[in-house]
Amino acid sequence: MPEPTPSPSPSSSSSSSPEAVPERPHTGHGFGRLLVAVYGLLALAATGRSILQIVEYFDRAPVPFLLSALAAVIYLVATIGLARGDRASVRLATIALTVELVGVLTVGAWSLADKAAFPEKTVWSHFGQGYGYVPLVLPLVGLWWIRRTARAGAAADADVARSAH
Amino acid sequence: MLQPLTVVLLVASGVLGVLAAHHLLRGRLVDDPLIIVGAVIELALLVQLVVGLTKASAIADGAERATFIAYLFTVLLVIPASVVIAVKEKTQWAMAVVLGGALVVAILVARLQQVWSLNA
Repeated sequence: MPEPTPSPSPSSSSSSSPEAVPERPHTGHGFGRLLVAVYGLLALAATGRSILQIVEYFDRAPVPFLLSALAAVIYLVATIGLARGDRASVRLATIALTVELVGVLTVGAWSLADKAAFPEKTVWSHFGQGYGYVPLVLPLVGLWWIRRTARAGAAADADVARSAH
Repeated sequence: MLQPLTVVLLVASGVLGVLAAHHLLRGRLVDDPLIIVGAVIELALLVQLVVGLTKASAIADGAERATFIAYLFTVLLVIPASVVIAVKEKTQWAMAVVLGGALVVAILVARLQQVWSLNA
């Protein structure tokens, strides 16, 4: 994997090209594109799954199905927040990712402790085992990325302030 | 389902994945060969959609049939979305997105075949 450069460069081989227009680090650029793509895919998968579950057999297991729907909304918010990348969107994405992390940990533990409550799989049951544990790893990666981008942004602002003097 | 079509799709996504990995290592961005392979996959997926929809009634279970049809449509979105994202990105992450997209197409095609063979 190449170095995740938050500052976009014209081509990968010349990361410090002089003609590159310096741009503020953005949660939706560089590595963020992959993150947005994965979140978008999970949003799609969770939305599809919850619609199917709620329409076809809601009576069978309402709790997991409502959790699937909640997960779908959170993934959607995270996708849009990271892709937009302005201050308010990133804050929203941070909240969504935190809820996601708490959700996957709680539901994961709950589904192991009380198997009867989860006759049907959700994205979060068994810590996201059905999705290759992606739902567990993703919020951690996402929160790390938001933090990293914010720090790089602060550093860039400091540079601008220094060069203005 | 049409087994030859599934094989073609899996091979084509493999080719796209290898091409994206090659471009990633060489520091290249989206180019014509990548678009052409992506377009071939998309065409094959459209054929799969038509074939799948005409044959979907063979799946007796309603929920499984809905899943099957949902997958048929969902898989169409992956390559266009990956390419759009990749075109906007000017670092190697562009190719990482395409590589991921190729992998997802392969997984969804395999899942489609699985749903089909278990229920029809």
